[in-house]
Amino acid sequence: MLIEKKKGILQELYLVEIIKGLWITMRNMLFSRKVTIQFPEERREYSERFRGAHYIKATNGVENCTACMLCPTVCPAECIHIEAGERPDKEKYPVKFEIDVLRCCFCGMCEEACPKDAIKLSNIYEMSTTYREVYDKSFLLDQRGGK
Amino acid sequence: MSKCIIDGREVEFTPGQNLIEVAKKAGIDIPFFCYHPGLSVVAQCRMCAVEIEKMPKLQTACSTVAAEGMVVKTKSPRTAQNQKAVMEFLLINHPLDCPICDKSGECDLQDNSYRHGDLYSRYTEERRTYLDLDMGPVIQKNMNRCIHCTRCIRFGDEIAGIREMVALQRGNNTQISTVDGRALETDYAGNYADICPTGSLTVKDFRFKKRVWFLKKTSTVCEGCSRGCNMEIHQDANVIYRCIPRENMQINKYWLCDEGRFNFQYVNDENRVVAPMVNHSVSDWGLSIDQAKKVLMGKKIAVLVGSDLTQEEGSHLLEFLPKHFPGSPIFHFGTPGLNTAEKDGDADRILKRKSKTSNLHGLEKLGFQGFDKMPKEINAVLVIRGGRAILPDLKGLVAVGLGVFMAPQVEEFSVILPGTSFAEKDGTIVNYEGQAQRIRRAILPPGQCKGLSEVLMMWVNSKSSSGAA
Repeated sequence: MLIEKKKGILQELYLVEIIKGLWITMRNMLFSRKVTIQFPEERREYSERFRGAHYIKATNGVENCTACMLCPTVCPAECIHIEAGERPDKEKYPVKFEIDVLRCCFCGMCEEACPKDAIKLSNIYEMSTTYREVYDKSFLLDQRGGK
Repeated sequence: MSKCIIDGREVEFTPGQNLIEVAKKAGIDIPFFCYHPGLSVVAQCRMCAVEIEKMPKLQTACSTVAAEGMVVKTKSPRTAQNQKAVMEFLLINHPLDCPICDKSGECDLQDNSYRHGDLYSRYTEERRTYLDLDMGPVIQKNMNRCIHCTRCIRFGDEIAGIREMVALQRGNNTQISTVDGRALETDYAGNYADICPTGSLTVKDFRFKKRVWFLKKTSTVCEGCSRGCNMEIHQDANVIYRCIPRENMQINKYWLCDEGRFNFQYVNDENRVVAPMVNHSVSDWGLSIDQAKKVLMGKKIAVLVGSDLTQEEGSHLLEFLPKHFPGSPIFHFGTPGLNTAEKDGDADRILKRKSKTSNLHGLEKLGFQGFDKMPKEINAVLVIRGGRAILPDLKGLVAVGLGVFMAPQVEEFSVILPGTSFAEKDGTIVNYEGQAQRIRRAILPPGQCKGLSEVLMMWVNSKSSSGAA
């Protein structure tokens, strides 16, 4: 059974309700703190633990990675491809180190599995490209200026 | 049957068995490093020491023969304490380079450290390091990882029959090396890497190619000679990375020769012909089968069957050939100068046989004749082989090849139909003792290679008339 509300003249005009609604809009527009930022000029600070683009850490210009293959082993998306090799100054090093970022789910397990503190997730989050990007070894090393 | 009690369980044993073997039969693992069932017992790693009732001290299980009524405790606190202590001693000088080491994943030291060792090392002093000499083309040595189990020394002495590995110096300074630092001479060098419980001796060919936990294993039989050693093919993503021996006490025990171990390399060889070839250029299957028939049309044909084919393929051919090549002589070939099973014999005192193909004895039993020399009136040959039989001189005859061929051999053939190698097919091979064994498919054939039965079906069903006159 419907209960019929009695409406007065003010309710009948909706004027008060419109002003009330407009007040909420104006209040949020003029007097509250902004949530958005001017993105390319302003940048948001993320925590050090944020899981963004990968990089390979280097010590004295030599990559930390020793191609132990623990990250491709643990990777649930199977997006890491490593080929190991040997060179005079390092017994085992990655000849090829490729991350198929489009497959990566940024779970951070590679970082966790790495015994050499080599593969890390940075807080770089601008990763959109117009092509299917695969991070290769030189890119991963340069990501943070070879540090 | 005599009985003893291990960990509260009554276990039967045959007299003379040591405690490790008896426990293994009951499903109880006793950890060990220096013991190997195929080698003599030295009891120097002390890892397998177990508590035996009525004996005041721990006894090494590898050197203690089980006796009636013996009560053994393999998990008692005293045993565990000993295992922990032994692990700590072994790890004092062992470098923590498992990420680099090829053995990690199948390493006895790693496994036992995980099961019985301590999580932390109390050792803070400098570790012992060595400079390593080259040990020849098969084995890569890293003395830093060695735990002096002396399995390699005993293997050379007792199995390979050449005392080339020795222990220099004593105690903490012990160094396992070859005599005068020479390269290894034995043809069984790959086994050194298999029996090494750490990554001290590893195979150079497999070095850094793949981590062992990625490899898929297929039990098969070696096709290197007529011995028929049991082995395992390890592959990943259709690429064979290595072969390792599989235990078979009747045939090869625990060993495999280097020739058989590295025989798989031709399977992934980039020179291998993986598409049908007509007059030295790539063609397709239909055209090349028609061309093969045309080339052989009206000729006096001899059929050469490689003795590296399986029994199944052999009996297919025995049905196919008389129908489609009536009157043509059929021979098997494989090793030059060895055309009957009677001429086959031991090539050394360990495993190798003179016949360099696996199924010589089987094909002979099926009724194939050995190839001696080409009959005079023949002017064309059809060669059917796997990948191992050595081609005889074809002397400018018109030749059609079916099987595994390499790029340099293309010149000799008008038509090549690419076939499958031993790793790409199932079948039965018969070794020199008449023992039939299964070979199993480990990988898919590369490119357009096809199995023999499929090619024969295409031959039968193709439109143009049969090849022979």
